Amino acid sequence: MSDVNPSLDLVHGTRVEPSKKAVVASVRGEIDLHNSPDLRGTLLELLAKHEPKRLVLNLSQVPYMDSSAIAVLVEALQKIRKTGGRIFLTDLQPRVKGLLEIARLDSIFVVAKDEADALAKQ
Amino acid sequence: MNSDPAEIADVRRAVENLAQSFGLDEKAVAEVGLCVNEALANVMRHAYGGATDRPIVVSGYCQDASLVVTIRDWGNGVNPATLPPKPFNPLEPGGLGLICLRRMMSQVSYVPQPQDGGGGMLLVMKKENPKLRRGSDFGARP
Repeated sequence: MSDVNPSLDLVHGTRVEPSKKAVVASVRGEIDLHNSPDLRGTLLELLAKHEPKRLVLNLSQVPYMDSSAIAVLVEALQKIRKTGGRIFLTDLQPRVKGLLEIARLDSIFVVAKDEADALAKQ
Repeated sequence: MNSDPAEIADVRRAVENLAQSFGLDEKAVAEVGLCVNEALANVMRHAYGGATDRPIVVSGYCQDASLVVTIRDWGNGVNPATLPPKPFNPLEPGGLGLICLRRMMSQVSYVPQPQDGGGGMLLVMKKENPKLRRGSDFGARP
């Protein structure tokens, strides 16, 4: 049995880009009702700690997410919007991109090709 | 399975494997998987109110040109199909699961179960395989 806490592994590689007032993080794994509360906790903690103007989430290692994960992203978006910030989603895999389109969130989040693209956008 | 969110992924993958063996294409397999996920999550959150130790029975089989997936619960018996529709707001994503079911499955029906059988609900979802429609390369008879 692994001693690794999955919640610690879900969001990784977090770094701060001070010049962009940005936090960049990678999300890893399939996200559903089981682990979306972990994602929620981590994202809200990141927002509270750094108060970034942009949160860049690299989703290249997220092959799948469900509506509970969408709800978490929307909650984080509403939180960051209160301080004038935005969320950038990068490296979307097809299933994730499809769900965002169905939820009509592809125009509410900023979808970027990759992290560099997200940081370069105005 | 139990109404434990930790079990959703394994059941979703099993149904996706069935859908794949039924000949559905990659997009359709993904749609079936997502709908099973969303239906199970709705049962766990709403029919069972978050209890993680209640029973859910999932079955899948092929019938004519369709993959049929059924989800039986013994929860509160509320039929989601009878709930008043609310205007869709992307910033209030509640209800997205039902939208997925309606858009991605060929047919969805909720069948309330008799109280003498324990009550609850039977969800029947069908996904047609276009390749098996009459007249197609796969379904046509000489």
